[in-house]
Amino acid sequence: MLDRTQAPIITEVDEVKFIDPKVIQVTNNVSLFWISDVPNSTARLDFYFDAGTIRSVSLIASLTAGLLFSGTKEKDAITFHNLLDDLGAYYDVAVSHENSVVSFYGLNDQILRIFQIFEEAMEHVLFPQTELDEIIQERKQKLQVSLEKVGVLAQREFQKAIFDQTNYDRYANVKDFDHVERTQIIDFFEQFYKSGLLKIVVVGDISTSDINYITSQSKKWSIQQKPQFELSFQNKIGRVHVEKKDALQTALRVGKILFNKEHEDYIAFTILNTILGDYFGSRLMKNIREDKGFTYGIGSFLSEIRHAGYFIIATEVGKDFTEKTIEEIKKEIGRLQTELISDEELNLVRSYLLGQILKSADGPYATMDLYTAVEQHDMDLEFYNSYIHGIRTITPSELLEMARKYLNWDSFSVISVG
Amino acid sequence: MIQFDRFELDNGLKVLFHKDVSTPMAVVNILYDVGARDESEDQTGFAHLFEHLMFGGSINIPEFDSELQKAGGDNNAFTSNDITNYYETVPANNLDTALWLESDRMLSLAFTEKSLEVQRQVVIEEFKQRYLNQPYGDVWLLLRPLAYKIHPYKWATIGKEISHIENACMDDVRAFFQRFYNPSNAILCVAGNFDLEFIKERVSFWFGSIPSGKKPPRILPLEPKQLEFRELMVERNVPANAFYYAFKMSERKNEEYYIADILSDALGREKSGRLYVTLKKEKQLVSDITSYITGSLDEGLLIITGKLNDGVDFNQFDNEFWKCLEKVKSVEINENELNRLKIKIRTAREFQEQGLLNRAMNLCFYELLGDANGVNEEHLIYQAITPEALQFTANEILRKENCSLLKIKPIEDAG
Repeated sequence: MLDRTQAPIITEVDEVKFIDPKVIQVTNNVSLFWISDVPNSTARLDFYFDAGTIRSVSLIASLTAGLLFSGTKEKDAITFHNLLDDLGAYYDVAVSHENSVVSFYGLNDQILRIFQIFEEAMEHVLFPQTELDEIIQERKQKLQVSLEKVGVLAQREFQKAIFDQTNYDRYANVKDFDHVERTQIIDFFEQFYKSGLLKIVVVGDISTSDINYITSQSKKWSIQQKPQFELSFQNKIGRVHVEKKDALQTALRVGKILFNKEHEDYIAFTILNTILGDYFGSRLMKNIREDKGFTYGIGSFLSEIRHAGYFIIATEVGKDFTEKTIEEIKKEIGRLQTELISDEELNLVRSYLLGQILKSADGPYATMDLYTAVEQHDMDLEFYNSYIHGIRTITPSELLEMARKYLNWDSFSVISVG
Repeated sequence: MIQFDRFELDNGLKVLFHKDVSTPMAVVNILYDVGARDESEDQTGFAHLFEHLMFGGSINIPEFDSELQKAGGDNNAFTSNDITNYYETVPANNLDTALWLESDRMLSLAFTEKSLEVQRQVVIEEFKQRYLNQPYGDVWLLLRPLAYKIHPYKWATIGKEISHIENACMDDVRAFFQRFYNPSNAILCVAGNFDLEFIKERVSFWFGSIPSGKKPPRILPLEPKQLEFRELMVERNVPANAFYYAFKMSERKNEEYYIADILSDALGREKSGRLYVTLKKEKQLVSDITSYITGSLDEGLLIITGKLNDGVDFNQFDNEFWKCLEKVKSVEINENELNRLKIKIRTAREFQEQGLLNRAMNLCFYELLGDANGVNEEHLIYQAITPEALQFTANEILRKENCSLLKIKPIEDAG
């Protein structure tokens, strides 16, 4: 008989299969990672360069990334884009603090041609002044639009506080666009792209001869020595409020410098972070959205860089709820520091996280993303087995300990814009 | 090619099953044939508000989300002007949990005052965050009533105004549920590594006893043919002049839909579209310009949007803009350019179908259009499009009296 009040029996996830990509050495410092078992004809090709924003003064890294297909003596920018279009290819460039990633999406039998177009652009790009002027105009306007958003303003202030006194704390201002010189772009490209390749990532059922071609032709861009990154950070503690006239909502960013996967407390803290703010049933969502209706969404995250990481709580709340929300965040953190989490809640989070790991290892693209997330810390997929073990064995008192150790309000940078 | 099986329960629930042997996960996707177009004009935003309430507990299950999380799953939903779509992803062993949850909330909701009160507030914050507290955020609140005079597409999914959400009461909520949330108004898709017989048995077990209800008739006012160019200029706190040209185009099931889709790519794809090349690269009038179609089930819109470069005025741009459209209308796009557009559509589609959830969603959506297998046949329609057809459609759509233009300009400082 159907009894709808009884939940169906739940089976816990017991095993997750993690499949390692093939590793091919491009040079001593540079590897190509490849997953070829893809059930359809899609393929992705990523090139990681040591060309993040920390390697230059403001704007140069992002403008260079935007101009990789700006044209050569033989072919202008439009010709390059039409050539990529002819192959049905899409591409994008993502610039972060520590690297830039040039990604191509296409059909597996076109990957070689796509690479050859990229190679031609890389080898002969001229960065014409007209193209530079154009992108400056475009990006300047985009920045002006972004600066009208409270979320963007808060994120900028937060970065400034978190990465205080390092070259990670810089961000672009509108007036910076007036000081960009073409020679800065050319120099940056020569140093950080032409000699800055860090790794290549390939997902797709493509031929070994294509892979060999890409490997051998990419050697010339390989980085000579392992790149160096800032080792230590200290966030600037305390509250900063920036007034934004007429804003209907206030953007809040609360957090501190913490650690990444290499730290012994990483796994325990990640579980704590999930409980606090990293899923739909988290304490922050339940309290601030589902009980009080102050916001459309609130979340907390642990974001990682090469030698550190930072913890952040982010939300946008109705203007009148700003101080109340800060009080409630404090209260939730206080609870984690003083009350043991119930077995019921902990078991729910365990099941949820195990299900998420299973999902995040589903399919070649997801698996490759899991792999690159550990590879950059010189770790391998074994990390996820430790993570699963940690999820299964962590205790309420260990979580309390984590909260006491890392979530003290007077260690936080607290930013509000509105 | 997305393989699927189809069956129907006695209560009218249409079910699709997509088998994928490679995945350890299962997806349950359920589409309800109700969207913002089914709202009455004095209660807009209701379909979307209702979507929020669907997570507030059902008749036998006080908490939806936590039961799913215990099973290692996650979920979400979205509402458009046409449909409301809910989905769960769970480890395959726990498929039953997802079916249990979806069937119970189809049976009946808990309808608590607290849930209604909180979700009203959450949606109001969503309204502010996405539509009011962003530069150019209110575009669709302005453009829809300009382009549509009668059809309910004239309001946005979030609603016409915040007061409609504030005024939603429990009786309205119950009535809405009764009318639209029943098996005969839903399409379910289960995807994962299962056997068809097993899925038939489990779906019947959970959904079979839900009373059928009646498929609500849909009689929407027909939008009269647009005969005049419409224009609206507003001042907002924005840094640059922005334009939104909205051209009427056919409904989703018409062949013209596919041609208009390719036309929008020809005109407005990034970095190499006709408008980009002429108006940005050659004439230096805009900082960006793109084109897309709204993809709605009833008569839709082809949108061309972008921002002017500093120092360029609207008239100067408008002049060159229409010249550029005239060229597309008078000279056939050659085979090479057309093939380029077709292969890009194919790549985008292959990547989209990579995800299990996307496959399940697409199957439900095409079933709503009339046949889930449409998802597998669509590429043939795109392949068959000729340069002549493209030119013909360009002439049908890209006419001034078929266009509504919204211009947003920065507030000028007084004095």
